[in-house]
Amino acid sequence: MRKLLDRGVASLVVVACVATVVPLLAQGRGGAGGQGGQGGETGRGVLGPVGALGQEVVRRAPASNEPAPRLPDGTIDLNGLWVGGGPVNSIAQGLKKGETLPLLPAAKALMDQRATRETDDPHLWCMPMGVPRSTPYPFRFVQNYTHKKPTHMFIVHEGNIHSFRQIFMDGRKHPAELDPTWFGHSIGSFDKDTLVIDSVGFNDKFWFDRQGTPHTEQLHTIERWTRVNIGTLTNEVTIDDPGAFSRPFTVTFNARLQAPGDEIMEYICQENNQYGVAGGHQNPFAQ
Amino acid sequence: MRTMVAVLVAGAAVLSCGVVLGAHHSFSSEYDGTKTFKVNGVVSKVEWTNPHVRFYVDVAEQDGKVTTWNMEIASPSALARNGWSSRTLKVGDKITVEGYSGKVVATRGNAKSVTLADGRSLFAGAADDPDAAPPDARQ
Repeated sequence: MRKLLDRGVASLVVVACVATVVPLLAQGRGGAGGQGGQGGETGRGVLGPVGALGQEVVRRAPASNEPAPRLPDGTIDLNGLWVGGGPVNSIAQGLKKGETLPLLPAAKALMDQRATRETDDPHLWCMPMGVPRSTPYPFRFVQNYTHKKPTHMFIVHEGNIHSFRQIFMDGRKHPAELDPTWFGHSIGSFDKDTLVIDSVGFNDKFWFDRQGTPHTEQLHTIERWTRVNIGTLTNEVTIDDPGAFSRPFTVTFNARLQAPGDEIMEYICQENNQYGVAGGHQNPFAQ
Repeated sequence: MRTMVAVLVAGAAVLSCGVVLGAHHSFSSEYDGTKTFKVNGVVSKVEWTNPHVRFYVDVAEQDGKVTTWNMEIASPSALARNGWSSRTLKVGDKITVEGYSGKVVATRGNAKSVTLADGRSLFAGAADDPDAAPPDARQ
């Protein structure tokens, strides 16, 4: 028994060292923070293991190139535990090379102001990350369906605060009027092998990233999630917000499949959040 | 005991393979990457809580006064994925902690490494320099 336990621990180390798939934390703008980096051949925005300070620690092994699995009806199978798929440090990192964010002057001014108040990032105070921001914690797609057709897709997030997104898959449209929320109103469908999520109705409270890249309640996102192979999920997001940007733009981020056997764990951010005390910062949401 | 040793070895191995356990929140706004500390003391409390696990260390100062340090490490889920549990670090453990001090409250530390009295390395909480990491590589 002891040997088995010892071997189990040894295996754990191997998994940690070789797969380096542990979703190590860090939110907030920890200096040159890094959710991302080159993700092998598939490119931009891949979440890598990060240290306490938010920087990427090691490069991952290349993702498996095995084909993505399919459900019995042929639909692409998104099952698995994923990390990444959105910005953390900077949404601009998902732009194509040479592109810049088409910020309107007011949005640029707000971003500049936030740069002086980086500790106001709602994420640091256990508020939701919104869309399309990611966290260093895993998530999974969970589909609900009747005997005839899918009804909902849920994206269940471990972090930042044990959140979920609800995507209506039954063909409904967005309501004409919506009260703004952190995750908005989402409708989804499959375009061949790509899950397309169209979302509106966001509030303007969340920051796209640690840089404080802003948006308004006019934000409209279209996410295109494609499992390009068994280990890689690409999220191509079109951001359309005439209140903050002069034109729509597209950013791309990749998520990586986590180690077999890993599962969503509890993450109740509000439980004992002592952020700010050591650095002398006040909670802007408590004012 | 062998299992405990294996856990400790696992911790050292995780550390040595370059994977460091991280913190949930911004480092540079909370801690001073140039203000390092190394203290010896006794674990007085462990909070296995989100967003960060914290442990408290009673440190005897030179004048005999005892100061309780508040040490921050990674989240329970990240630690658990690296083999730790709420029982890995115990009240009463005599330890040496190295890390970075809070910018405003010096006795709040971001723990980089914890060493037991017999020299075994228990775990590390942070990477070395918060702002020395290369900028995010993209595209």
